[in-house]
Amino acid sequence: MATADTTIARRRPGATGRRVRRIGARTLLYVVAWIAAIATLVPILYAILGGFRDTGQLSTNPVALPDPWVFSNYTGILKSSTFWHQVWNSTLIALVSTALTVPVAALAAFVFARFAFRGREVFYTIFTLGLLFPVAIAILPIFIMVRNLGLLDNPLGVALPQAAFGLPMTIIILRPFFHSIPSDLQDAAAIDGCGPFRFFVRILLPLSRPVLATVSVLAIVGSWNAFLLPLVVLTDSGGWTLPLGVTNYSQQYTTDTAKVLAFTTLSMVPALIFYAFAERQLIRGLTSGAVKG
Amino acid sequence: MRKTSRAVAALLAVAALVVAACGGSDDDKTSSSGSAKTSSNKPVTINWWHIANNDPLKTIWKNAATQYMAAHPNVKIKITVLENEAFKAKLTTNMQAGKPPDIFQSWGGGTLKEQADAGLVKDITEPTKPWISTLNDAGVGLYKIGDKQYGIPYNLGLVGVWYNKKLFKKAGIDGPPTSWNEFLGDIQKLKSAGITPIAVGEKDKWPGMFWWANLSLRVAGKDAMAKAATDGGTFTQPGFVEAGNQLKKLIALKPFQQGFLASPWDGAGGEAATVGNGRAAMDLMGQWAPSTFAANTKDKKGLGKNAGWFPFPTVDGGAGQPGEQFGGGDGFAIGRDAPPETVDFAKFLVSPAVANKGGASGAILPVAKGTESSVTDPNMKAVLDARGKASFVQLYLDQAYAPAVGQAVNDAVQQLFAGKASAEQVSKKIADAAKAG
Amino acid sequence: MPPRPVRPTASVPAGQAVPPSRLAEPVSVQVDKRRRGPGPRDRQRARRSRVARKWVAIGLFLLPALALYCLLVVAPIFQAFHYSGYKWNGLSSPTNFVGLDNFKRAFQDDVFRGALKHNGIIIALSLAVQLPFALGIAWILNQRLKGRALLRVLFFAPFVLSEVVAAVVWSLMLQPKGLADHTLDAAGLHSVIHDWLADPSIVLYSVFIVVSWKYFGFHMVLYLAGLQQIPKELEEAAAIDGATTRQIFRYVTLPLLGPTIRISVFLSIIGAIQLFDLVWVMTGGGPVDASNTMAVYMINHGFKRFEFGYASAVAVIMLMISLVIALTYQRFVLRRDIQGALTTQGR
Repeated sequence: MATADTTIARRRPGATGRRVRRIGARTLLYVVAWIAAIATLVPILYAILGGFRDTGQLSTNPVALPDPWVFSNYTGILKSSTFWHQVWNSTLIALVSTALTVPVAALAAFVFARFAFRGREVFYTIFTLGLLFPVAIAILPIFIMVRNLGLLDNPLGVALPQAAFGLPMTIIILRPFFHSIPSDLQDAAAIDGCGPFRFFVRILLPLSRPVLATVSVLAIVGSWNAFLLPLVVLTDSGGWTLPLGVTNYSQQYTTDTAKVLAFTTLSMVPALIFYAFAERQLIRGLTSGAVKG
Repeated sequence: MRKTSRAVAALLAVAALVVAACGGSDDDKTSSSGSAKTSSNKPVTINWWHIANNDPLKTIWKNAATQYMAAHPNVKIKITVLENEAFKAKLTTNMQAGKPPDIFQSWGGGTLKEQADAGLVKDITEPTKPWISTLNDAGVGLYKIGDKQYGIPYNLGLVGVWYNKKLFKKAGIDGPPTSWNEFLGDIQKLKSAGITPIAVGEKDKWPGMFWWANLSLRVAGKDAMAKAATDGGTFTQPGFVEAGNQLKKLIALKPFQQGFLASPWDGAGGEAATVGNGRAAMDLMGQWAPSTFAANTKDKKGLGKNAGWFPFPTVDGGAGQPGEQFGGGDGFAIGRDAPPETVDFAKFLVSPAVANKGGASGAILPVAKGTESSVTDPNMKAVLDARGKASFVQLYLDQAYAPAVGQAVNDAVQQLFAGKASAEQVSKKIADAAKAG
Repeated sequence: MPPRPVRPTASVPAGQAVPPSRLAEPVSVQVDKRRRGPGPRDRQRARRSRVARKWVAIGLFLLPALALYCLLVVAPIFQAFHYSGYKWNGLSSPTNFVGLDNFKRAFQDDVFRGALKHNGIIIALSLAVQLPFALGIAWILNQRLKGRALLRVLFFAPFVLSEVVAAVVWSLMLQPKGLADHTLDAAGLHSVIHDWLADPSIVLYSVFIVVSWKYFGFHMVLYLAGLQQIPKELEEAAAIDGATTRQIFRYVTLPLLGPTIRISVFLSIIGAIQLFDLVWVMTGGGPVDASNTMAVYMINHGFKRFEFGYASAVAVIMLMISLVIALTYQRFVLRRDIQGALTTQGR
């Protein structure tokens, strides 16, 4: 591995110089990271602060701090039972959708990654087709299918198509990760009498926690923000999800932008909390490393 | 998998028929539900989709439904309130699946025609004959396809020029212009006074379409516009091209606010915000303009007493008459499978009992004759006045024509505003879309 | 009954392509010739039942995915193919069959061709700008930094935000005399100010900035997961050998991150082809189609012009383009990963 570069490395500077350079490099990393973070945050801060103004303020002067601070947008939303209903609906659908997508996709990705059989690539390509096809055009046939299954106005009527359309992305991401688990492990397990399914559940899945956490987060976020599918499947407003709820602040000719900003800021919070929580799984996956040489 | 779903579908269809026949609600109770009192009439459910997702109209509608249900115990009205764009998307899927709601928001015109052609809306000519003449004629005409009535209006307004009286005075303009040349002259005066003459939210495309449509109505005339609905080639006739050229003349004066191509109608930086905050003098818009101005100002008052309204100027030598106006409104269409009680409910909704409340609240310009007095705001009264005098109302083009053509008009006119197309090209683009769509 | 197989020492030579049949089969049996081990017919029967068991396993594992997928994805796609041959406004059933006319019309339409070009530009820019940036951030976050958990959430936040809000907020910020202009003014860069969303010649690039802001968090998360699967020992070993940070990154990290990067690139390309929500709300494809993408074009014709047959044809075209890219990519780029070129015995 270490080729001609070793000659350069051998010119070791003094220990102090190296430590100074390391602290300097570390600070630089901090600076870059935090500048990028702030730049990333600005639009979000704008949305949060915008919720504390009213639409009139926003239109009169788009760039200004709230003056006066309007709390009624946020408090009004937090007090309304409709909002919490929608949070519940969104959560339920997101969880069901993810609980369907990830295991089903993992099973399929396992097959694609660790079995060899004729037509494997064909099946894999068929699954990637779902990724290549825009959901919006499929919405008319999907609606009919959901209706035929009797799942209109039913959370499952949203979760099932979402899971189906989430399969391609999840399989595509899981497959290389599953493949990189060395076959020695599987061979050893087989010797111990462990069939593919037990290997899958007992060994592969626990080892894949980082990537499973990743695809779960992606599935939840995708479901959380989905608009078109819940719109056509859910008619009774009691079953509405958050993205549908935000349309309450728009009308035929006018939009209450401030309320929209407040609403969507609040909608973002549960998804972010979930991500922060799943984050720890991602980190924990590092320490229980699959691959120790 | 298909066979299963077809079997399920068949089962569900049978179940649906049973449910519908027994007039049950959406849950699986098939016989009359608790709300049905003893009545000789069978229980009936009406599915109502409307787009008044905000007050005051939302509550007015809700109360109307409650009132009606109290007077007709066997009728249950299920209201679904949707925002405008969401409504259009959802209606499409339901239409496609052959499951239209019983009574729903409609703007008439080309979209209603397509729905009628597909047999998805009910012909209500007969049930409405006794009372349809109590409604504004122009409005009723918007929901008539051929000879058949498929819906009724509940709101009808006109598009005209809203202007800031103070800014006009500042520019030394005495009164609103009545002719196009006068109008162009006023633009110059405003510019000399350092005032942005016009705000237009051309990101949304339809505000610009208003300009082209009004000019076409004035120059090409109402008959040409009606003919264009069925014969796309009409758009290339001299009348339309001349209208386009006049619009080009206006655009060449650079009368619009900065960044107008990316400016929406509503929202921060939009047309309404610009006018409402006194940053532009004029706005060619419908009767909802003042409330949107107000929503976009800090004190929620908009232009207040400063607001004035005048109808679109006439163009000398044009085929259009002063009494011909451009506008539109809202109405309800009746779905194909709607129970007969639905028409009666619709009648109730536009009757003075409900319409007066709507007019008083400023939410609508009611269409039942005699309800005009409920409108109190002076500018609204001016619009109402002009509406009363109008011999003909041309519906917004993206509604009047088939959707494909309407959108093509919007798109082509935006090109004109961006200086990317000539009047001839605009006409040709629309004609081509009419042929292809 | 057969003697316990001995653990093989070198059944899979590192770095070589794994012969497919070896992956799922149990290891070969070392037969002690002295005992009467399984005869040829027994072995054949055993092999056949092994193969049968393999297929059963494959079938059972794949069944849930296939069922769900065929019902709710494949069937609708076929329907869309069906619709694309008709001139149809979306109401009741299609009746006006026009064959390939819709496809001809699309390729002859300037607006569609422009949209296609815009998609291409977004793809190129994403690969050149957005992905390296995401990789850089992921790498930084993989170091032992204080507060990196918080940073990770912050960088992921734009992705979590709904497209509608992202579009609304950025439209507010990019309007004339909006936040963007104010900031540039304050930084003394007044001359840089343009009509970010109103100027047809730059609106596409403004859209690209917003797209990058919104989606780089997704790629960052992918790279993070990939980085965390690289054993620290390898990097430490290289450091001990005297490699600099840059060299470690270039010769150890990057190659091991290969599969992840290749997936990320693939998803980025496909995502760029499907780009819809942000553009729809921020610009509607305008002004004058200067920021139009294929998906926006398709929805316009489908849900606004009610030309569902035509829109389905556009969707089919998008699918075909993506399919060609996907197949080519799989064949030439992803092949290596599946063949097992990468194992922990690294190279």
